[in-house]
Amino acid sequence: MGLSSAATTTLSEPLKFCIFDLRRGQHEGEELEKILFFFPADLPFPAQLSVVGLSEGLITFTRIFSPEAACEVIEAEMHSHVFFEAEPDIWMVMVVAKSKETEAIWRIEALRSVLKEIHSLFVMFHGSIRMLLDKEPGGGLIRGHLYTFIMDYLTDFLIGNKFLLPNFRDSLKERGTVQMLTVGREAAIEVQSLVGALDSCMANTLGYSVILFQDLLVSTTLTPDDTVNLFTYGTLRLTPRMLSSGGSTWSYLRKGSASSHAESASDRLHGLQDASSVRGDNYQIVRPLQHGKWSKGKDGFLVTDIWGVEVGNLVPTTPTIWLQQIEHKMYLCAYQHKGLTIILLIPVTSMLNGEEGISMLKQQLLENVSSKIYKVEEKLSKGWGGENAYHVKGYRYLLVDSDRNLSRASPSGKVTTLTKESLLTLNKVREDVDLERNRTKADDLEICIRAKNNSWVIAQAARGKQLYIVLEKANETLLYASEAVEKFSDRYCNGAFSLD
Amino acid sequence: MFGNTSMVGFGGSGALSHAYIHYPPLKCRYDGSRGLFYDDGNKLLISPTSDQVVSWKVSPFTSDVAPITDTISEGPILSVHYSLDLKLIAVQRSNHEIQFWVRETGETFTQKSKSDSDSILGFFWTDCAVCDIVFVKTSGLDLYAYVPELKSLELVETKKMNVSWYIYTHESRLVLLASGMQCKSFTGYQLSSAGVIRLPRFEMAMTKVDANSKPVLATEDVHIVTVYGRIYCLQVDRVAMLLHSYRFYRDAVIQQGSLPIYSSKIAVSVVDNVLLVHQVDAKVILLYDIFADSRTPVSAPLPLLIRGLPSRTNAQSSETTLTSNTMANLYGDDWIFLVPDLICDVGNGFLWKVHLDLEAISASNSEVPSVLEFLQRRKLEPKKAKHLCLELARSVIIERRPLPMVFRAIDVLLKSFAYSLKTGSYLKGGKMEKTTISGVPENSESGKFVKNESESGVESRTVHDSGFSTSDSEDNNPSIKKAKAKFLNTNSSGVNTEEASGIGDHSVNENQSLNANVSEQESQVTSAAIPPDELYSFVLASVEEEMIADASYLFAIIVEFIRSASLEKIKLQPNIYVLAVRLLARNERYAELGLFIMNKIIEPSKEVALQLLETSRQSIQTRKLGLDMMRQLMLHHDYIVLLVQDGCYLEALRFARKHKVSTVRPSLFLEAAYASNDPQHLAAVLRFFRDFKPGFATTSEHSTYIRALADMSPSITS
Repeated sequence: MGLSSAATTTLSEPLKFCIFDLRRGQHEGEELEKILFFFPADLPFPAQLSVVGLSEGLITFTRIFSPEAACEVIEAEMHSHVFFEAEPDIWMVMVVAKSKETEAIWRIEALRSVLKEIHSLFVMFHGSIRMLLDKEPGGGLIRGHLYTFIMDYLTDFLIGNKFLLPNFRDSLKERGTVQMLTVGREAAIEVQSLVGALDSCMANTLGYSVILFQDLLVSTTLTPDDTVNLFTYGTLRLTPRMLSSGGSTWSYLRKGSASSHAESASDRLHGLQDASSVRGDNYQIVRPLQHGKWSKGKDGFLVTDIWGVEVGNLVPTTPTIWLQQIEHKMYLCAYQHKGLTIILLIPVTSMLNGEEGISMLKQQLLENVSSKIYKVEEKLSKGWGGENAYHVKGYRYLLVDSDRNLSRASPSGKVTTLTKESLLTLNKVREDVDLERNRTKADDLEICIRAKNNSWVIAQAARGKQLYIVLEKANETLLYASEAVEKFSDRYCNGAFSLD
Repeated sequence: MFGNTSMVGFGGSGALSHAYIHYPPLKCRYDGSRGLFYDDGNKLLISPTSDQVVSWKVSPFTSDVAPITDTISEGPILSVHYSLDLKLIAVQRSNHEIQFWVRETGETFTQKSKSDSDSILGFFWTDCAVCDIVFVKTSGLDLYAYVPELKSLELVETKKMNVSWYIYTHESRLVLLASGMQCKSFTGYQLSSAGVIRLPRFEMAMTKVDANSKPVLATEDVHIVTVYGRIYCLQVDRVAMLLHSYRFYRDAVIQQGSLPIYSSKIAVSVVDNVLLVHQVDAKVILLYDIFADSRTPVSAPLPLLIRGLPSRTNAQSSETTLTSNTMANLYGDDWIFLVPDLICDVGNGFLWKVHLDLEAISASNSEVPSVLEFLQRRKLEPKKAKHLCLELARSVIIERRPLPMVFRAIDVLLKSFAYSLKTGSYLKGGKMEKTTISGVPENSESGKFVKNESESGVESRTVHDSGFSTSDSEDNNPSIKKAKAKFLNTNSSGVNTEEASGIGDHSVNENQSLNANVSEQESQVTSAAIPPDELYSFVLASVEEEMIADASYLFAIIVEFIRSASLEKIKLQPNIYVLAVRLLARNERYAELGLFIMNKIIEPSKEVALQLLETSRQSIQTRKLGLDMMRQLMLHHDYIVLLVQDGCYLEALRFARKHKVSTVRPSLFLEAAYASNDPQHLAAVLRFFRDFKPGFATTSEHSTYIRALADMSPSITS
């Protein structure tokens, strides 16, 4: 029953997305309590309940066989249901419609990484869902936060009136990884010297720093997971490109999904939300992903009123975030000089005099470190090859280092030259690799496929690194293809894939 | 004659001072002495009697040098100078006459001035190319060459001008001629081996008390000073209480600013290129290091100290009187200051040499980087300077002084080392002295530079800011080249992987030989410059234990150390990188460690790779970094052994086959595979060796493990 009702409504709804808590609404008639978030919000409750009910049923069922990792995906004829257990018993489920015509061909792991990203960003800004639930068991608090947060997040995928989730065309991208700027030794030393100067600026507060150049990471003192979150947020909202585009959603990662209607679309989304009953209006809800809210101040520091404004003197409150591994709330303080963005994180507890301490820190940074910042910026921009710096002629590639959450790929502009056929084959290969890696946990594989359009699609994995390459207009022998990969590996991966 | 001023108490041996004279002095009292003369060309102190010339050699300075005596005929003596080859003695008898003795034969001849109105102010011997001796007369200079065959002087050239008085130092080869009503208009000649250079005429600044007064500049108010091979002139302006300084270039004389003075009587010494301005009335000394443009004194004004005085109780009575005399007579009226660092107590007939107390200077200034800069420039006591530098560097870290200060200190030391490498002084500092003392004001290039500057009216002096003004001509010396190759990073542009892996194997050897070399050099310290590996072992490594709680502080210093070294293109030893890895691992900063390895800030080496592997117990990623580094360094043998340790036999075998590594014994693999208790592994390893190692099937090893395999198999199946 649940299945059929879902099928009928989804014809008009290409995307459904819900978050529910299995520990809630255990009694009949209280099922709505489970739902913490549902998109679209205006879907009638019975339809919402049927999606949640089906998901819950499957989770309960699969847990019998695999208590640790229950259901991951359901592939129905028209839909894919992607599951992600964000926190114990808190599930995120995304239902996407399949359709050959609308390019709705997905890779499940890519969709799941969207869910992961939403969750980890949410936790970074608001703390865990369970924590908010514990804080206010009624659920109004968490619903309000989830709703505004996810709706703000989704505006980035909004094209016109439709959501464009990462599909097969994004096969040469890896969400949840960091893209790094490659620098020479000298520049790297200058950068580290800057990091040291920032450290001494934060003195004994045990702060952290993240340095970005354009949309690429230059340095971090955070753990890899926190780095990914902060990097993601930085490239979504803080980098010069994001600031100059006035809040449009165009970024290095999501190039092509530009939308000048972002603001209005988001307003519309929130308009919908206002009509809905989910929101608890008595909470002040911080919307860190809201567009167009960050700007660069005269002193070079980035300012936003997202976190509110201090009563009386109209000074914006300094943003705060949570780090994953340290149970500390951190002040987030961002400084920008041309292409260089510096994010400082300072434990709230070590700043005894709060905002005053932050402004003193800013002053100190301007006085003691700015010359170093200018120097590093100059050095980096001199050595930067621009957007196509990491293009390798003849190759379309993606290199993922999952140990360190790093990836590097052909620039999106170059990937668009690939034919749909190649991309679809790659999407399929990646799907297989995901499956294989999930199943065997093995780290050692090599796939080389000749696609229908005579392009080579190659996947290799070795010691935590994966390499995907698409070669179009290449020679037809397998030897040629494997040599091309070996050459690439030797040249750009320190020979990580050419051991045998 | 004896000064009785009650200034006792100055000389207590515990008193603080930055400059001292050492007891006992050279005693140059001689019966019948008719005054003391200083021959700065030959560094002789001369005390003539009525018919003898008694002289003491004052360089090198020892208090017990025996005098040398020459006999001359009787007569008045206005001044005495030996010729530079010591073959002649010239004695000025009157304003018109100079008498010469040929020491070997005792022959004499006399040179007189031509007219009566034209009197001789003085004379000096020179090693100039065109002449041997120069007479300074009221009408100008007479340049004479000595003709040994004729036993006479031959006039080479005359420079006509009015001269009121003159000063000359052999060190600078520069004669300054004062003229004009106030004697403040100067003409200079430098008589160097390159020839006679006329410096442009210039005026010295004299502040007037009122519009009508016209103070006259006295000869004792002008000093020629040679520091760092540059020539300066210092002039006392008694009205303004300022010491004006002028620097001489080949084609310009540039005023350099003024130093305040606290005494109307000023004396000047130069010790190890440090300028000592004796404020005679105040009996204190101000030290200036005019290498940099700074006009601030190196330290606070402090009195001169006598060291090594015999203790009063033990001393004999004569000694005691001597002691009290000297002490009482500090800066007495009959003290004469000789160029560059001697003090002659004419009354007592003592000659003192002024020394610097580097330890006291470095202890009295808390601005460590500038103290280090100061110490690095000292050449007289390189070993002490070096030791003090190491101590200072160590203590700034242990005292946890602010990082920027530590960074500057490190930078100073590395810059100085790089510089000494470049000039070659690191290996042969002793020889350096010779080249700097040649006394040529500047090479023409910098002279031009200055001229341009002065024309455009730029005030700031940037010439030679960056270094000692020594020529680079010694570059061709093969030993220097070798040293440079060792310490200097020739491949400054980021090492690409091919290169890095290519040099991997021998870089280790090179490092070993380098270490050996360093310990060799330690025995003969000729320069205060500190090679980076000594900085590592005496400073960074030695404080590691104490800094355990503050590893990030020490790490920040190491980053700056690496940075300074990279800027100066100095190659660092792997041990510093090993320390960096250890510190990062201690703070569990693994992500950053990865970054440092990836960007090659920590340069790959076997030592670093091993350290990475050692710290990998806490982090698997770090082990991978270490393994990758081994592979990239082409340390195939170690890499394979490590792979086997990780249980990756097959990967190791494939790698061994691909890179043709034959040094790894089959038993290593076989034992590991056997220990894994997995017959499949063992079988695969056996098969590999049978297929790829000729003759393996016939070895006893083969049969042993075949049997072992046979024993294993049933246990699995059963």
